[in-house]
Amino acid sequence: MTLQLFVQLLINGLMIGGIYALVASGFTLILGVLQVFNFAQGHFYMLGAFIAYAVATVMGAPYIVAIIASLAGMAVLGILTYFSIIKWTLRSGFFHTMLVTVAFGTIIGQLAVLKFGYSTAVVAPLIESTLQFGGISLNPGKLIVMAGAIVVMVALWWFLKTKIGVAMMACAENREVACLQGINAEKVFWVTMAVGCGLCGIAGALVAPVLSASTNMGSQVFLKAMIVVMVGGTGSMSGALLAAFVVGIVESFAFQYVESFAPLVIFALVALLLYFRPGGLLGKPLPIPGQ
Amino acid sequence: MGIGNLVRSKRFWLGLVLVLAVALPFLIGAYRLQIFIFAITYSMLALAFRLTLNVGLPRFDVAAWWGVGAYTTAMLMLKANMSFWLTLPIAVVMSVVLGYVVFSVSIRRGMMVFMMFGMVFALAIQQVLGTVKFFGGWGGTPALPPVTIGSHVLNNKMWIYYVGLAFLLFNVVVYYLLFNSRIGRAWNAIGSGLRLASSLGVDVVGYRLANVLVSNAFLALAGSFSVMYQAMVLPTTYGFQRSIYVMMYVVLGGFLSPLAGPIIGAVLLTSLSEAMRAVQQYEPIVTGILTVLIIMFIPQGLTGLLHGRVRPLFLRLWPAKAGVQVKGPAGSTQVSGPDEKAGG
Repeated sequence: MTLQLFVQLLINGLMIGGIYALVASGFTLILGVLQVFNFAQGHFYMLGAFIAYAVATVMGAPYIVAIIASLAGMAVLGILTYFSIIKWTLRSGFFHTMLVTVAFGTIIGQLAVLKFGYSTAVVAPLIESTLQFGGISLNPGKLIVMAGAIVVMVALWWFLKTKIGVAMMACAENREVACLQGINAEKVFWVTMAVGCGLCGIAGALVAPVLSASTNMGSQVFLKAMIVVMVGGTGSMSGALLAAFVVGIVESFAFQYVESFAPLVIFALVALLLYFRPGGLLGKPLPIPGQ
Repeated sequence: MGIGNLVRSKRFWLGLVLVLAVALPFLIGAYRLQIFIFAITYSMLALAFRLTLNVGLPRFDVAAWWGVGAYTTAMLMLKANMSFWLTLPIAVVMSVVLGYVVFSVSIRRGMMVFMMFGMVFALAIQQVLGTVKFFGGWGGTPALPPVTIGSHVLNNKMWIYYVGLAFLLFNVVVYYLLFNSRIGRAWNAIGSGLRLASSLGVDVVGYRLANVLVSNAFLALAGSFSVMYQAMVLPTTYGFQRSIYVMMYVVLGGFLSPLAGPIIGAVLLTSLSEAMRAVQQYEPIVTGILTVLIIMFIPQGLTGLLHGRVRPLFLRLWPAKAGVQVKGPAGSTQVSGPDEKAGG
């Protein structure tokens, strides 16, 4: 393997890993705090990409505005989802809230198909030229995705240290005790939905210039997020971050060498990991109902 | 109403449905009969989904195992020139053995990992079916030979319908016997209180694995049956979308009747999607909205209405305060885990 190929595969892996990290950490946050298995996560990601397309390409606004618009749009949609659907089914239990998000995701997905069809929407890249770095040419768009993902992860880490962030972690730890300490669970829940869905919006907006937006991009990423969550340990945030980059890099290299058997390779690796390290890579998952 | 009365009326309804089902080909045309053949297949999938729900394991890989059955039968018929009936046991064994290999590890790690691992497997198997030349690739296999009994060729819609009905009846009878056996009682114990069951000495992992493998066997049977009326098998038929629809059938039909609910849901939603054929692109939206409304207002589904255990509408309109714990079975400390509502 040449150095050129190796570096490019590594960059690809880190880029897609960053996207997985954003989607999976949003998913884990909602799962841990609300105890809702959010099936619509992939659809939020897809909508984020299309909002970026609408703002950046159709309206001609700068790319940074598109990212903020995606974040805001998905956060608002997440809050709306919480107050219109999830709030009313929380009492029915884990299974029912999961099913309601499945149905909601189906509705969003089909609405997007009605609006955008099956074709892809391309967002113009920020920098057209390629970077030359010691004989290795790199696509700057991928570096921007990576940098964006890291910035967002740092922002999320900072957010979880604020008062509301600590309240979220407390709710994830033990909801009843958190309520007894005077934490407003209702507020924590809708903030969590906003953050979790907003992360997906950012991920979609970041990926739009590199991979272009299409209506079926959501389910692929959702399934990859499942893998990330399993590898990182169910309900563990830091595990999900580490696992996202591991899965991204493994997938990038597997796709180069075995092409369409890459899902099978990843599946086998996940099976081995579950056998030898049931708690995930870091091995300290949060308690989740139905274990 | 007295208990005796209730049982009598239940038998009456059961008999009526059976008579109607047998007489159906004489009442409607061949085109409508095809929809009922689809509905029978989907009923079998929904029953298998409902079966694993009994031990608190929702599964979203239903369509993948359905595909395993269909591909096993199709490949044996095409490449080995085997009779359809001979391929049935092979498909079942294939599905069970593969299921054991796939799930023997993940089932120990609880419901979440089981579910997610199943979805990842579904993705992988679809890729394999689509890319390996032996299976015919994304374009599907060449035309399948028709199914025969002796020298009689079963290419008539009516015969296919009756074979499907026999398959479905076989499913229902086996499920009924299982539910009323020692194994079924252990399954129900696990479904209604995982910790209690395990503390009473029920082998949770073993019984869960047995349940999933039985479900796999019936999914493979449904797959083999679907080969009867399909001209070819396509990998895209066995995708994630179908698994989601199967879930919706079970939600619509209801959880309280483990046998009638899934069948009612499958028949109703299949008819709905057929009725909306002209505006096909809106069909998933209508189905999705219907499912959301059902879960919000009648969480026990349509058959839940018959059981009279449905909360009045105005009570459901006012949700519980967030964080209030729903009392779990036998003092379990879970915050309304899946066990409560999903258990049979």
